Amino acid sequence: MSTANFIQLFLSGLTMGALYALTAKGLFIAHLATTRMNFGQGEFLMIAAYLSMTLLLVGVRVILVTVLVIALLGLKGWGLERIALRPLDRLKSLVGGQYSWVLTTMGVALIMQNVATLVWGKSSQYSPPLFSASRDNVVKIMGVGVFVEELLVIAAAFLVVGLFYVFLFLTTHGRAVRAIAFNRETAALLGIDVTRTTVLVFVIASVLAAISGILVGPIVTVQPHMGLVFTVKALAVASLGGFANPLGVLAGAIIFGMAESFSNYFNSAFGDLYPLLVVLALLVVKPSGLFGEAKADVR
Amino acid sequence: MKKIGVTLGAILSSAALGGASFAAEVKVGVVMGLSGPPAIVDFGESYLQGMKLALKDYSAAGKHKVEFIVYDDEANPQKAVSLVQRLLQSDKVPLIIGTVSSGNVLAFAPIVQKAGVPLIAGPAIASNITSQFIEEKPSFIFRCSMVEKFQIEGMLDWGVKTFKKIGLVHSTTGYGNFAAKEIADGVKARGASLVAVEAVAPNVSDLTPQMLKMKESGAELVLNFHESFELVFRPMSKIDYKPTIAGNWGLSSLKVRDIVGTKEIEGTVMGQALDLSLDAPKAFVARMEKEYGKEFRWPVLAALGYDAAQVALKALDTAKSMEPEAIRDALEAVDGIKAISATPAKPYGPKDHECLDREHVFLGVWKDGAVVRLKY
Repeated sequence: MSTANFIQLFLSGLTMGALYALTAKGLFIAHLATTRMNFGQGEFLMIAAYLSMTLLLVGVRVILVTVLVIALLGLKGWGLERIALRPLDRLKSLVGGQYSWVLTTMGVALIMQNVATLVWGKSSQYSPPLFSASRDNVVKIMGVGVFVEELLVIAAAFLVVGLFYVFLFLTTHGRAVRAIAFNRETAALLGIDVTRTTVLVFVIASVLAAISGILVGPIVTVQPHMGLVFTVKALAVASLGGFANPLGVLAGAIIFGMAESFSNYFNSAFGDLYPLLVVLALLVVKPSGLFGEAKADVR
Repeated sequence: MKKIGVTLGAILSSAALGGASFAAEVKVGVVMGLSGPPAIVDFGESYLQGMKLALKDYSAAGKHKVEFIVYDDEANPQKAVSLVQRLLQSDKVPLIIGTVSSGNVLAFAPIVQKAGVPLIAGPAIASNITSQFIEEKPSFIFRCSMVEKFQIEGMLDWGVKTFKKIGLVHSTTGYGNFAAKEIADGVKARGASLVAVEAVAPNVSDLTPQMLKMKESGAELVLNFHESFELVFRPMSKIDYKPTIAGNWGLSSLKVRDIVGTKEIEGTVMGQALDLSLDAPKAFVARMEKEYGKEFRWPVLAALGYDAAQVALKALDTAKSMEPEAIRDALEAVDGIKAISATPAKPYGPKDHECLDREHVFLGVWKDGAVVRLKY
């Protein structure tokens, strides 16, 4: 393999990994604070991609698109917690009741798929580039081409990791998230508003889906069924990272993206088989994930 | 199971038909892929749009009151089989038209054949749909659609003559693997070989690795047999690689053009059965645009849907009765069709149950945002 091809595949893997990381971080933050996840995280991303596409196509400026989509998805995250999760808390004491959120978040995902189909149609759609009128806004890095949007995805994934650390360790709300992750009752006794913090993590997860959706549109084809793949891969990535800290999620995502890119180069016949085998092999070696610990971890 | 569409029909007085012997209310069963993967939906909805327009035209001049009973098989073989059984046993239709997925058609065709009810398959394209039944006495399986092997043969005749190095990108679905085998055999039969063969599994959205392999191999022509037709185009500008892309008729979709870009898709070649340089197809496209607006997105699919319905409705008019056997016989004898697509005036015969034969399939090429006949 030539050096140029190696760099090309590396950047390609990094881009896809960054996309999975952004989705997986949404799963991570919700799981950290509530031990629950939004199985419709990919569908939130899909809705954000559609909203972004629609606004861009009618000529709204990128910055305004970003603000609007983030605000709308944040609202959706709030709605998810209020409508699909919180009312089920009273079922916790019933057998299996603590897992009702799996069904409700999946149900919301299906509803969103159907809403997207009704609003935007069943066909795949073209989403324009964020910063160019043409479809070939390629920049050269070490002699190989990369789309500006791909660089943005990579930058966003790393930036979000940094912001997560700042949020979790340097802000009051972040400390509240860590506290309820450790023990909800104790956190409540210490005066932390557990309900509000729970809402906050689902809003953050949705905002992450919004960022992913805005960035992913110009890179892949937008269609109502695009979300599930991202949810499944993000789950694999978060498991590989260990659901432990933002850096673990990023590392897991990059490993997955690289495995996907290079395995498709050497043997394209099996698609996701190789990256998933990598995840399985690593989990066999370290069941708690690369950055996870066997004991409770609230870093 | 949802019944998503109905009716559209009319009775024409027998006087207007010059004394025709009877007029009946006829239910025609339609199984179509109308939800699920976007590529399937585009095929199914486009074909159905053409069918509905044909029925609308028939309603103004036809002999019977015809109703389409439309069911969505969701690209699911089990569902397709159960819907066909419902059409046969509950709705008791004497004729069925459908569907998109070749696997679905191959799953229910034996049931329809055994029931003795004629089927006009379409827009499924697997090569063996009618051929495996043609020796039956009689065969009830007809088709009005592209035939995969005809477009592959046309493409390879042109490709091998025009390019020194040919590569293949195919999906790992049943369709993609089947096409890959037909292409590999066809290239070998023409004394050439493929310089690279790359697969794309479902859920893979970045084809940079596969297209890098194509570039490395020096492929000047990349045959694209993947259901997500746009994927091969995406990495081309970043890896600075501009081969000619050729593939099945899916590449002629207006949706694919919009996603890939008019400039980027220029020169792309595909199997085709609709010549838009002719007046009748042009007028048809104008009518479809007026009828369906933005929802109209695939001229050749709509044209074949129109022609399939035309053939079916004409068979109903000429059949001796509304019994399935009589309609089957009428289908074989139908003549005088003024087709929009390349379908001949007499599409079928006792040993030919395909609307399109090898000589009717040609190659189209994107030029200035429209598909025109490729001259070579």
